[in-house]
Amino acid sequence: MKISTKGRYGLRALIDLALHSRGTCVSLSDISARQELSLNYLESIFAYLKKSGLVIGVAGAQGGYLLAKPAEQITLLEVLTALEGDLSVYDHIGAEPPIRAFLNRNVWDAIDRSITDVLKNTSLADLLEELHTDAT
Amino acid sequence: MRLSTKSRYALEGLLYLAVYGGAGPLSVKEIASGIQVSPAYMEQIFVQLKRSGLIGTQRGSGGGFFLSRPEDTITVGKVIEILEGSTVPVRCVENRSSCSGRVRHCISRRVWVRVSDAIAETANALTLKAIKDQFIAETGGAGK
Repeated sequence: MKISTKGRYGLRALIDLALHSRGTCVSLSDISARQELSLNYLESIFAYLKKSGLVIGVAGAQGGYLLAKPAEQITLLEVLTALEGDLSVYDHIGAEPPIRAFLNRNVWDAIDRSITDVLKNTSLADLLEELHTDAT
Repeated sequence: MRLSTKSRYALEGLLYLAVYGGAGPLSVKEIASGIQVSPAYMEQIFVQLKRSGLIGTQRGSGGGFFLSRPEDTITVGKVIEILEGSTVPVRCVENRSSCSGRVRHCISRRVWVRVSDAIAETANALTLKAIKDQFIAETGGAGK
């Protein structure tokens, strides 16, 4: 049960973008410098985030990325689903022997719910506020 | 964020033992056929569970595996820890120095801590005893 590099670095990069974007776009090279993530890797991650509608790319010399909507409206569930795909702890594949089907329903789905609840109830804005509170 | 099939089959095997092992040890062959996995894979998983003290073996004819701890002390969290090493999905939660980054204030670690806590809280509260009782209530106890 592991979160991939894409999920870990992607979340970090998106939080950095949200922290530093004050209505203006943020360049990937700035994020790369602050977070010590490779520019190449950030480019591929932001292609995903853009395709998922979480960020908007701005071309040009002063270009970079912006959040596609207010941080209040972006939940961590949306972000991690965009980066990781389905977050379930197991593969959902049709018919299962009775014990497996029972445990999927009563154990693994319960764990999935606890994960999605925590992520659904935290917005990017909540996270920024916590980081701000910690810093002061 | 997939678990390996090892953790899932381990819990299935333990549930099978809890539900059907009341009259004595069960062979790997029976358990494996009950949950529809290969006996060789089941055996590999049960060796790990035995090493961790959750199950024991009895030799000889009529021998096999049995639960060696009370069912209410075996939790889903424990089973995941044995088979996956940990219930934590990002290493920095348990060990900050596992992070190669030199950024002093990590801005995302708190998310992973929260996700890990949620997983652990749920997994550690689910005991084999509670799962077995519910299984028996749902199936009438004989639903092999």
